[in-house]
Amino acid sequence: MVLAALLVAAATLADLEVALQPAPGRLTVQMAVGSKLPDDWTQGLSAGAPVSITYRLRLYRNRRWLWDLRLASHELVVKAQRDPLTGVFSLVSELDGEILASGQADTLDEAIFWVTHPPSAELALPLRHEPLWLFVRAEFLTRYKLLVIPSTVGTDWVQKAVPESP
Amino acid sequence: MSDWRRRWQRYRRQNRVLVGLYLGLLVLTGAGFALFSRLSGLPSEDLTNRLLLFLLWWFDLTLIAVVLFIILRNLLRLAMERRYGILGARFRTKLLLSYLALSLAPTVVLFVLGVSLLSRAAASWFAAPVEGMASASVQLAEGVRREAEARTSRAAEVIARRLSELDGDAARLAELERLHGLLGNHLTTLYRGGVPVVELVDPRQRPLVRVPPLEGAALRSSGVRGERHAGTLVVRGWQVLNDGSVVLVGEALPPSLVKAQARLAAAGAAYERLKLDRPTITATTVLGFGGLALLVAFAAMWLGLYFSRRFTAPLLALAAAARRVAEGESLEEVPLPAEDEVGLLVSSFNAMARRLQAREDELQAAVRRLRTVLNAIRTGVLTLDSGRQTVLANPAAAALLGTPELVDTPQLLDVLAGSFPRLVESIRSATSGFRGSLTLYPTGVARQVEIAVVALGTEGQVEGWVVALEDLTQLLRAQRQAAWSEVARRIAHQIKNPLTPIRLAAERIARQSERRSPELPVVVEQGCAAIVEHVQAMQEMVDAFARYAKFPPLTRRPVQIGEMVQHVVALYEGVRPGVQVQCSDGSGGREVLIDPEQFRQVLTNLIDNAVEASPPQATVAVGVQWEGDEVVFTVTDEGTGLPGEDTEVLFQPFYSTKGRGSGVGLALVQRIVTDHGGTVRLENGPRRGVVATVRIAGEQR
Repeated sequence: MVLAALLVAAATLADLEVALQPAPGRLTVQMAVGSKLPDDWTQGLSAGAPVSITYRLRLYRNRRWLWDLRLASHELVVKAQRDPLTGVFSLVSELDGEILASGQADTLDEAIFWVTHPPSAELALPLRHEPLWLFVRAEFLTRYKLLVIPSTVGTDWVQKAVPESP
Repeated sequence: MSDWRRRWQRYRRQNRVLVGLYLGLLVLTGAGFALFSRLSGLPSEDLTNRLLLFLLWWFDLTLIAVVLFIILRNLLRLAMERRYGILGARFRTKLLLSYLALSLAPTVVLFVLGVSLLSRAAASWFAAPVEGMASASVQLAEGVRREAEARTSRAAEVIARRLSELDGDAARLAELERLHGLLGNHLTTLYRGGVPVVELVDPRQRPLVRVPPLEGAALRSSGVRGERHAGTLVVRGWQVLNDGSVVLVGEALPPSLVKAQARLAAAGAAYERLKLDRPTITATTVLGFGGLALLVAFAAMWLGLYFSRRFTAPLLALAAAARRVAEGESLEEVPLPAEDEVGLLVSSFNAMARRLQAREDELQAAVRRLRTVLNAIRTGVLTLDSGRQTVLANPAAAALLGTPELVDTPQLLDVLAGSFPRLVESIRSATSGFRGSLTLYPTGVARQVEIAVVALGTEGQVEGWVVALEDLTQLLRAQRQAAWSEVARRIAHQIKNPLTPIRLAAERIARQSERRSPELPVVVEQGCAAIVEHVQAMQEMVDAFARYAKFPPLTRRPVQIGEMVQHVVALYEGVRPGVQVQCSDGSGGREVLIDPEQFRQVLTNLIDNAVEASPPQATVAVGVQWEGDEVVFTVTDEGTGLPGEDTEVLFQPFYSTKGRGSGVGLALVQRIVTDHGGTVRLENGPRRGVVATVRIAGEQR
């Protein structure tokens, strides 16, 4: 019971929701940030500063006797900026530097929803002989501890086992 | 050692390799990170920030590592040097700690002050007035837009309400045109079915001519929208009528106003971006100042160590050279160039070293010459320390004593005590200038050795002793053979002299007997008398020979020498008329270890000769006195003096210038004196006569 309660609590406390949809040779990843974004990030966006959320996706091959082998590393960057003249939020999502989607939002909430629910990313999957794991994390901004030690503000790493394709 | 190896060691000493490696790694790492970041598709601004931060981090961390390495290495090295007592370690420790304190303390203060000042400066950038201005600029831009949105929405609403009250297209179009002019709209459009059917545009607002129509989805409900178009901001508000048609009113803000708004908005956005980057700016500042401070500390420390080595090297080299000299090594010059006072000290030290080296070379040469002489001479030489505990021998002495181990290394004198107790006793008890003779048995064969002991150094401070051993065995044997030859010759001569008259007397008796001469009884009487006389002379000669040959050994005892001399002289009172024997006693009543019977024989023989050689009415002076550690006897006569030949011959047995006597008197004198370790000498007096001088070592009591 206690373990179940802990698992439920962990599930409800999850900052980043990740849904995987396997296909032959491909993996569709749908992410959603469930936690509240940092205030300075939100204020910067509403004030017209260009902000972004970087989703890091790392695909590992789980090996039994050796350390896990990283097969691929991807970055999904969702950028947002408000035009103070028009009040419109410009939104762009890029996967590994390639524009994946773009759009506009008229309100801050729409813009935040857009960046916290980025378009799904399709990753190439290699031929598998061993289990694959996907690690995903969302990074909002960088702060510094003791003035000089960089510390990334974001969600924890979410580990998902890549299911077999149907 | 190869040239490359020398270069490598020099470079390593100067830490150039370390610095080169550091800079090379810095450049390589920075370039690699830049390439990696560029490949990751980062924006140029982020790339610059990350690269700058990374380089600063790298710079700071490596500088911290280098500074810590230098400090720890030098501290460790100094600790080891102090542990092993290497010269100069304490001095260098003090210098290093002083440099550390002098360099690190100001650097830390400078770093703290600089970071504080820059942090305050950065905080001032984000002060409330700036924040307010930035916020106001954004609000102003939005306010203008919202004002335009309100105007267009209100105008669209008014027109829509009016058109709803009218029936017929003609009336509506007329009213639309009237209100467009009346309200001063820039753009008035009537949509029906999602398609603009009427569009009225103020001819002064050309950008509105090419504004694309709103999409159908947006026209399903009333709304307002601002859009950038042709360098200006176009605000459009629309209102849906009851029949589904839409009235849209548009307004184009003046381009100059829009440009100003755009600049304000851009400034505000840049400010917000800057605000988001504030932690990065602070970190960059701190890291930059930290790197600068570390660089200053590193440079100060390096220079301090370099100069401390440069300043202390000549002094430490001097101290090390002096220490080596103190430990017994040879004096050497210090090969360190210096031009200041230390240089003067070094040059003075080198001059002193050269001078002392020259003296040492001369001394070494003298020692080599002395060693060569000692190795070459046939006289054995023993050298002893001041306490006469250890002994070193030259090859001749080692061969004489049969102890070759004494040549190379000094040995205790006790090693000779077992084989040569008398020699060791003589060496230990002898005073400087002692001379004597010993019979040694190094290999079971007797060897006659003359020994002389001399002290080295001054009288008050004896630095060592030298013992000379002269092997007189061969010489004495040769002298003995020569003496026996001479003795045989003289005995033959002595025997031959009486034989002739004996033979002549016998022949005369024989002739007178053959002739039956009446003088035969007289001749027989005379001949027998002559024969008896000469045979008696021969008997005396044989007795003297026997006395000389059977000379008894010495029996020493303490004797008051002055008293003994007076007793002997008293025996000669009136022995010869006209000759007076006088005694002068300067012995002071002290005693001497001698054989009194034999020494009385010496005095008797010398006084006999003096009395016999003296003319009538002469005086024989006999004296005894001390000269240092020697007791000196003198017997002076007033005769004709020495015959002018070698005086040594006078001491040979059976040699006589008197034409009578056995000729063993002076020989006995010399033998007795020599057995006492003394000397006897005959020489002419200052005016006339002969002075006989006997010296013996005064073992006074």
